Amino acid sequence: MDKLKIVSYLILIISVVAIIYALLFNLANWVVYAISIIFIPSGILSFGLIVMARGPKDEEKEKTREPFIGY
Amino acid sequence: MANILLNVLIAFLVGSVLFGLQRKIMARIQMRPGPPVIQHLLHTLKFFIKESSFPKTAAMPFYIAITAMLCVIWVSAVIVGPVTEGSLLLIFAIYAIHKIVEHNAGSSSGSPYGKLSCVRAVFSASAEVPLFAVLIIIYFKTGTMVISNIINFQATNGPLIYSIPLAAAMFFVLILSKAPYSPFAITKGKDIISGYETEHFGLLRGYLMMSESIAWYMLLWVFLTVFIGGLSPLWYLVGMVCLSVIVAFINATTPILSPNHSIMMQVSFAIVGIVGSLVLLLY
Repeated sequence: MDKLKIVSYLILIISVVAIIYALLFNLANWVVYAISIIFIPSGILSFGLIVMARGPKDEEKEKTREPFIGY
Repeated sequence: MANILLNVLIAFLVGSVLFGLQRKIMARIQMRPGPPVIQHLLHTLKFFIKESSFPKTAAMPFYIAITAMLCVIWVSAVIVGPVTEGSLLLIFAIYAIHKIVEHNAGSSSGSPYGKLSCVRAVFSASAEVPLFAVLIIIYFKTGTMVISNIINFQATNGPLIYSIPLAAAMFFVLILSKAPYSPFAITKGKDIISGYETEHFGLLRGYLMMSESIAWYMLLWVFLTVFIGGLSPLWYLVGMVCLSVIVAFINATTPILSPNHSIMMQVSFAIVGIVGSLVLLLY
């Protein structure tokens, strides 16, 4: 598993735990807002980074080598 | 928390379907069958599982973080708007950060199209931010910037759209500039492919589209709330559909303007709106 996947799993777990914590416990309003603003976007992004498809390693090198072809 | 989650989900779903509706209406006007109404929503979800790779020239991790920033600001808008009915000034701040996100998403990708779009984002901000002077007109009229107080003001004095119609028109032009294919959508003009989103494909495109759907819902929500008043969920939906249909008609029949013309037209709207509204307020 590469570094990106490990970090994504960590962020997803932290985000889900924080959101569930805010759902279950009666926190101050500003804490709930802070959790929503930080962890809803980071949860969605980390979920996306986990489920996105990755091409084969050798193909990926080719894709990123010449990003400016076409202009 | 459940309230916030529910509102964010509603904003995403309604915003996506309204974007789909817009494309459908535009297609019918242009004698095409057009995609299904839920196409925008399906695209957003589909991009999450598409193969993604990151360009070598992208400024990592900024290239990914800027997409999260767009989501952060519009989730904040949902909290300031439907959840707490807070200050309009915060909505203004969020809109200003949206322009910064457009700029930085374009520059962080390393693509020449993105860079051109990022220049246009700064250029268009010079016209769209004056349109937000609509806030001062609302303040002069109601004596408050807090959305809940503006709703109360309208409950006793009638909708603001009747007393300050030019301010409503200014805000509508602002909404129009955020619609895809609009005459003022110079940051995503087809001459620069997809503008600042050109190099954000796959998952990151889906993520950006999700935030844009929330942004569209929020802009319509602010318009309806500030100029018509607090509505029931059904009337909000009817109002949003009406506004999206009007925007679709304009977009279908108007080409995207060149950056110079777009800015000049928006600035003209802003000047006429501000001066006209002040005259209306005085007399």
